[in-house]
Amino acid sequence: MKAETRGIHGGYEESRFLGSSAVPIFSTVSYAHLTAEEIEEVFAGKKPGYIYTRISNPTTSILETRIAELEGGIGCIATSSGMGAISATIMALLKSGEHLVSASGIFGGTISLFDKTLKRFGVDTTFVDSDEAEDFESAVNEKTKAIFIEAIGNPKMNVVDIPGIAEVARKHNIPLILDNTLISPYILKGYESEADIVIHSSTKYINGHGTAMGGLLTDTGRYDWSSGSFDDIRELSKEYRNLAFLVWVRNLIYRDLGCCPSPVNSFFMLQGLETLCFRMEKHVENARRLAKWLEENKDVKWVNYPGLPSSPYYGRVEKLFNGKGGGLLTFGLGSREKAFRFINSLEIAKNLANLGDAKTLVIHPASTIFHEFSDEEREAMGVTEDMIRVSVGIENIEDIIGDFDKAITTAMEE
Amino acid sequence: MKIDVNGKSVDLEKQFTISELLKKMEVKMPDMVSVELNGKIIRKDQYDEMVVKDGDKVEFLYFMGGGNGFFRRTD
Repeated sequence: MKAETRGIHGGYEESRFLGSSAVPIFSTVSYAHLTAEEIEEVFAGKKPGYIYTRISNPTTSILETRIAELEGGIGCIATSSGMGAISATIMALLKSGEHLVSASGIFGGTISLFDKTLKRFGVDTTFVDSDEAEDFESAVNEKTKAIFIEAIGNPKMNVVDIPGIAEVARKHNIPLILDNTLISPYILKGYESEADIVIHSSTKYINGHGTAMGGLLTDTGRYDWSSGSFDDIRELSKEYRNLAFLVWVRNLIYRDLGCCPSPVNSFFMLQGLETLCFRMEKHVENARRLAKWLEENKDVKWVNYPGLPSSPYYGRVEKLFNGKGGGLLTFGLGSREKAFRFINSLEIAKNLANLGDAKTLVIHPASTIFHEFSDEEREAMGVTEDMIRVSVGIENIEDIIGDFDKAITTAMEE
Repeated sequence: MKIDVNGKSVDLEKQFTISELLKKMEVKMPDMVSVELNGKIIRKDQYDEMVVKDGDKVEFLYFMGGGNGFFRRTD
């Protein structure tokens, strides 16, 4: 089955749900069992069955199965947000005194999690300011338990050497965690990325309409947990084989953190998945055309879109993402003031903190998503004062360009 | 030849690769199944070349919603 078909039918059998063509929303907290003996068996893991929606839910299970199939992974766990998926993954793998290696040009929320929150719990992170595998390898030490990267850095718009970094992770017997939010499982299937765990903020392209928060973590099945670097998971693998990581997350970290999604939000994600492939094609095409138009505009100082032939990352986009550079780009008009005037003059594009929506969205990252960081920290993350981030929507591209043209002209007037 | 699939004995008329066996056994959701051959995890990129021989033990494992998430399923 191809991705377009799987996104519509994957993981769902109507015959198990009274023939309901749409996936039913199981809006329930708990699940009644006929006997005390039966619920005892379900709690003990001897019998399949649901217990409590904080642990699992039938609507969410269908989403998880559909994603695991799309990613070519061995299983998926859906969470309340992308940050929930990253938190659960990192907390499942690392404990106090251990070390994480991370790319540096990544989402501000993820940097805050690693550099502020997890630091309080004794987990140390080295941020690598490079796209090359050898620099990631240099940052690995004897306490390193995982490497974290984004498929396209947000908002740095860089593309790291994913297969090269996967090779480094394999060499050191640690998992590579890939946040694939900006590229989606349609453009880059989790298993083929060579990463061991793939994360998505499904709030973005998978939902696609800005209507629900969600996250996903998928085990691609590449990492051998039975001989891995994690004592607890290796022990668990004696019983649960290579599903030990997922069982460990589901039955301990995820259950205890309480980062489960609402079943209603899982339904929204399933709806979004039905059109993901088609929307991604349009996001990519519109982003490519807008980036090209911006590049040719005399008032635009710089444009960063990895899908532009002039981008230093274009070669990697062709090799890793089949030439599809995603729907996010950044550009600058030379100053923060011009950026603000531009944003204030737009009529179609919305000024808000999200991406991957059907609508075109803009934001000034330095004063919003990255406001808690110092000027030096922002510079290291590649967030300049004049940067405008654009999540290119699926509207008619001529309307988007017309909106940008007018707003740039106004921004340059004063 | 005889092999053992999830604890059940199965007769096969010839040697099968893992890919062929997934089809032959009509394994559901073959893209998300975790396959073990004689206790060793088989990566997806080995499915086409890895051959199942007489006496081998094969496990098809699934991570599903409900219970503890871990299932052996052949139906």
